[in-house]
Amino acid sequence: MLYYGKKLVIFMISVGLLSLVTFYVSRLAPGDPLFSYYGERVEKMSPEEREWAEEKLGLNDKISVQYSRWINQVFHGNFGRSYKYKMDVLDVLKSRLGNTLLLGGTGFLIIFAGALLLGVICAWKEGGWLDKIICKAGTIISCVPEFWLALVLILVFSVSLRWLPSSGAYAVGQEKNISDRILHMILPLTVIVTEHLWYYGYMVRNKMLDEIRADYVLLAKAKGIKKSRIMLVHCMRNIMPSYLSIMAISVTHIMGGTYVAETVFSYPGIGTLAYESARYKDYNLLMIISLMSGIIIIACNMAAQILNERIDPRMRISRQSEMQEVDNYE
Amino acid sequence: MSDLFEMVGVKPELAEQQVPEKENRWYDTIPWLSVIILILIVGGCLFCNRIMTKDPSYMDLKNYTIAPCKEFLFGTDTMGRDIFSMIWYGGRQSLFIGIAATVISTGIAIIFGTVSGMAPEWLDMLLMRATEILLSIPNLLTVIFLQAILGKANVFSLSFVIGITSWMSIAKIIRTEVRQLRNNEYVIAARCMGGGFFYILYKHLAPNFLSSIMFMVVMNIRSAIVEESTLSFIGIGLPLEVISWGSMLSLSEKALLTGAWWIILIPGVFLVVTLLCITSIGDCIRKKLNKQESNL
Repeated sequence: MLYYGKKLVIFMISVGLLSLVTFYVSRLAPGDPLFSYYGERVEKMSPEEREWAEEKLGLNDKISVQYSRWINQVFHGNFGRSYKYKMDVLDVLKSRLGNTLLLGGTGFLIIFAGALLLGVICAWKEGGWLDKIICKAGTIISCVPEFWLALVLILVFSVSLRWLPSSGAYAVGQEKNISDRILHMILPLTVIVTEHLWYYGYMVRNKMLDEIRADYVLLAKAKGIKKSRIMLVHCMRNIMPSYLSIMAISVTHIMGGTYVAETVFSYPGIGTLAYESARYKDYNLLMIISLMSGIIIIACNMAAQILNERIDPRMRISRQSEMQEVDNYE
Repeated sequence: MSDLFEMVGVKPELAEQQVPEKENRWYDTIPWLSVIILILIVGGCLFCNRIMTKDPSYMDLKNYTIAPCKEFLFGTDTMGRDIFSMIWYGGRQSLFIGIAATVISTGIAIIFGTVSGMAPEWLDMLLMRATEILLSIPNLLTVIFLQAILGKANVFSLSFVIGITSWMSIAKIIRTEVRQLRNNEYVIAARCMGGGFFYILYKHLAPNFLSSIMFMVVMNIRSAIVEESTLSFIGIGLPLEVISWGSMLSLSEKALLTGAWWIILIPGVFLVVTLLCITSIGDCIRKKLNKQESNL
């Protein structure tokens, strides 16, 4: 219990620090937040009008005062209004969150299963032609920058062949049409998956290769257990804890990848929203997005740590024996 | 004498065959193809004045968006600039950012990692928690913010921003290595004799941990180049007037509308080939490292 309590405290401190840093940095950055609220009209404003507008949005106080006011509001469940959309930021976020979850979540699931599959296939055929081909192809693909891959895909599949749409999450008026949504998701999903798949696949391959050189595999083989059973049951059990903790951290990377893919394909998700809000100084929106991303990232890192330290029975035993050694020593 | 004794058991012709296999020479493990291509690209960028057929920043408004032909080897972009000249000229900026950002991030990582490794327990813990928090902030977000603070982007500010946001994972590795090294007798002896921090770092620690971070450093060049191009593409990096592989690609949205494939494909292919070469060199370094470790 104490263990989780400690983790929770560190979590809270990290989130608090993150919000403080983001708040200060975003306010210190040059740019006119009034522009996102009033648009072009800002340029024609007189100094008095400007002052009135800043007063209204609470932008003319010291940053520390603004921050304490923001924190106070957050604890009352009020995250403020978006300057650009003139709505509660939570509503803005809600309208986009589903799209990103759909895209990133599907991507994550495909990567999770695909990396395991590829890694096991490569380890199975170690040194064979299939292994070599997959490794070479994987290295080449992982060198391609994400946005460029997206551009080439758009060029080939939407501009030249005209098979798939190049942007958006659904065609106009087709919001409920599932097949239309899938059609719009294919290209961004391809980009996200190909960018990350091999990184984790290679990791599984190497872990598997280490594992099949262990002594217990020899024993199992001597007992006459089938190769498939040794690899998929015995070895898999041993690499699973570290794979799970790696995948928990991978959420961060995949989320970053989703953001970039969203911007290129102008997919209406959190990524495009984050980019817009940072660009146009939509402070309240920016704060909640970076806070949300930060919370997800920190939570995933913690989950990885906990998985690493708690789930693997080997770890538990080694810690116990360490403790015993210490006891004996004393 | 030789008649009295007969050699038994050893067959001379077999013994000759058992000459140990020739060991791989040092140059067998180097990926020559990648090295040569990389030298060609880097050389072409360094001596771009000799290669360029046109002024890379001259906007020839009569000849915009022309497909590759004899006069314009790689075609022209939507603003009428010659892509062939731009590739070599812009490669300088991209490669410079890659190297400068890596130098900055490695420098920070070495200092930070060593301080954390040599520090007492509580300070080490504090510094490592700080790195973890920094690692957990999305990279793109920090880059956008820093860039906004520094104002309009140029090559130097961009390398600074990329360098300052990518040192954390190297620092962690250095810290682990230093933790193991610091209890060695020679380090303790040097400290007892009054050796300063930088003296110990330079004489005793760096030679030991450099080999284990080399792979990460090479990979950092790669990711810095990717980051530059991504940022310039999104429109927060280098502006259009500063030619680099990334800023050339930022024209591609317009190119998509007209179907001008060469504006997108050619700079991208150069980028990807460079990255591939760097990766294979990095892999070669890593393999060498692993071999040494397994021998021990």
